[in-house]
Amino acid sequence: MTFPDRFLLVQRSLAAFGRVARSQPRFMLIMIGAAWGVVREAIQPVTWRRSVQIEFWRNLRQMTGGGLVSVLVVAVLTGFGIVAQAVYWLGFAGMAQMTGSILSTVLVREIAPVLVGIILLGRSGMLIVTDLGNITLQKQLRVLNGQGIDPFIALLLPRSLAMTVSGFTLGMVFSLIALTMGYFVCWMKNIVTMPIWSFMFQVISSVHPEDYISIPLKFLLSGFAVGLSCCLSGMDITSEDDLTTILPKGFSRGIMSVMAINVALDVIF
Amino acid sequence: MADSISTAQFIGPVLELSNARPIFEGEGLSYGRYNLTLNAGECALIQCRDKQQAASFTDLCSGLLPVGEGSVRCLGLDWKELEDRRASALRGHIGRIYQGEEWLALYPMQMNILWARLYHTRRKLDSLVKEAVQLSMRLGLPGLPTQLPSRLSSLDLRRAEYVRAFIGHPALMLMEEPVLDEPQELYNAFLGELTSARERGAAIVWISSNPLSWRDYEQGNMQKFRLSDSGLTTLRGM
Repeated sequence: MTFPDRFLLVQRSLAAFGRVARSQPRFMLIMIGAAWGVVREAIQPVTWRRSVQIEFWRNLRQMTGGGLVSVLVVAVLTGFGIVAQAVYWLGFAGMAQMTGSILSTVLVREIAPVLVGIILLGRSGMLIVTDLGNITLQKQLRVLNGQGIDPFIALLLPRSLAMTVSGFTLGMVFSLIALTMGYFVCWMKNIVTMPIWSFMFQVISSVHPEDYISIPLKFLLSGFAVGLSCCLSGMDITSEDDLTTILPKGFSRGIMSVMAINVALDVIF
Repeated sequence: MADSISTAQFIGPVLELSNARPIFEGEGLSYGRYNLTLNAGECALIQCRDKQQAASFTDLCSGLLPVGEGSVRCLGLDWKELEDRRASALRGHIGRIYQGEEWLALYPMQMNILWARLYHTRRKLDSLVKEAVQLSMRLGLPGLPTQLPSRLSSLDLRRAEYVRAFIGHPALMLMEEPVLDEPQELYNAFLGELTSARERGAAIVWISSNPLSWRDYEQGNMQKFRLSDSGLTTLRGM
């Protein structure tokens, strides 16, 4: 093999390596950049024009109101399954004093953010992917740009922030309902005899101080990550894409985002 | 915001293309130099058979298509020198009529029509709605449409498009094929609104594939061009 051939081989190998290295974290880098953009724009009062406010409230209503029934159903099922079982088996094993600690750690800190994130993704996130995907595919962003409306501010920012607030609200509702339901199941079976306030106090008093930051952060950031990844999946499409390709892509990106946020916060706190 | 840029005190061309050469030839405009000067109240009639070319030209005028050499100025401001937020605000002074997919199917018509006004101005909602309702009625609609775009007939969509373009008294109007085969009443109402807009000082760019569409509006003092692969060429004696 001559020197130019060897050089060409090395060049091609490096190019292939570079392509893979650039394509794999591409969406993650877009997410980081867009997240910074949303935060930076959101703190500027001029961003909150009337159309952005209308879009924010409309989406918040749709996401929170629309996801509420699903969250209630899943919370009741979780209360029946996880909470009641945990209380029963911990009492059976003579570790009833651990109930609060285990429920606050497992249910509120670990399970609730993931389940709420998945509900948000399925109920509202996919809708965002479809809506923004259609707008992008039909080249309607040109209409917005032509009127001087920045799609990032008009479409992406209010949806991401509405999903953030919705994630927190639904996460809190989920935790409360699941714990309450679990208590009532155990109370009806005479597994616990304490009043509900004592049960709740037991759970709350076993929450670690750092969890008062990590739990709300998980709810907020899970919602934000789902909203942002769905918006970007809907807008970041090529001419070869259609709804059958962007929906699965949006779903897997959303799931990955929720998992990544939860793992990252577990590592930090 | 759009109302921070005053059009009232501005003296000079509303739209000025000086040897403007788009950076990319792309699928639309040819790589030539474009010259056009439009003062307040003036109208340019441009014949163009290529839909994509017409769209690219209006994008060039509104600063959406980047310019390499030369300049494109709107209300005296060079698009190249404006940062994004100010460029968007300046676009808020432009009324546009598009060809093709011009409505966001996701939003009801009132949002589609008022979106830019709500985004760019601080005008009270009541006043905006009042203006939109008056415009809608003048253009043959029973009021401001509130259905989704898919629920409206193509004729009503065209009426709504005129409402969206004329609302808020734009300083510049970029119209791609604004008239096709509309009924005479709508055509007359449209020309009436166009005349009022010009009297208020709006500059008009009317692009059409068929010169017959402006037959009732054409005047001797209007600038006439042809937009084709050879660029923007002046037409005389059309």
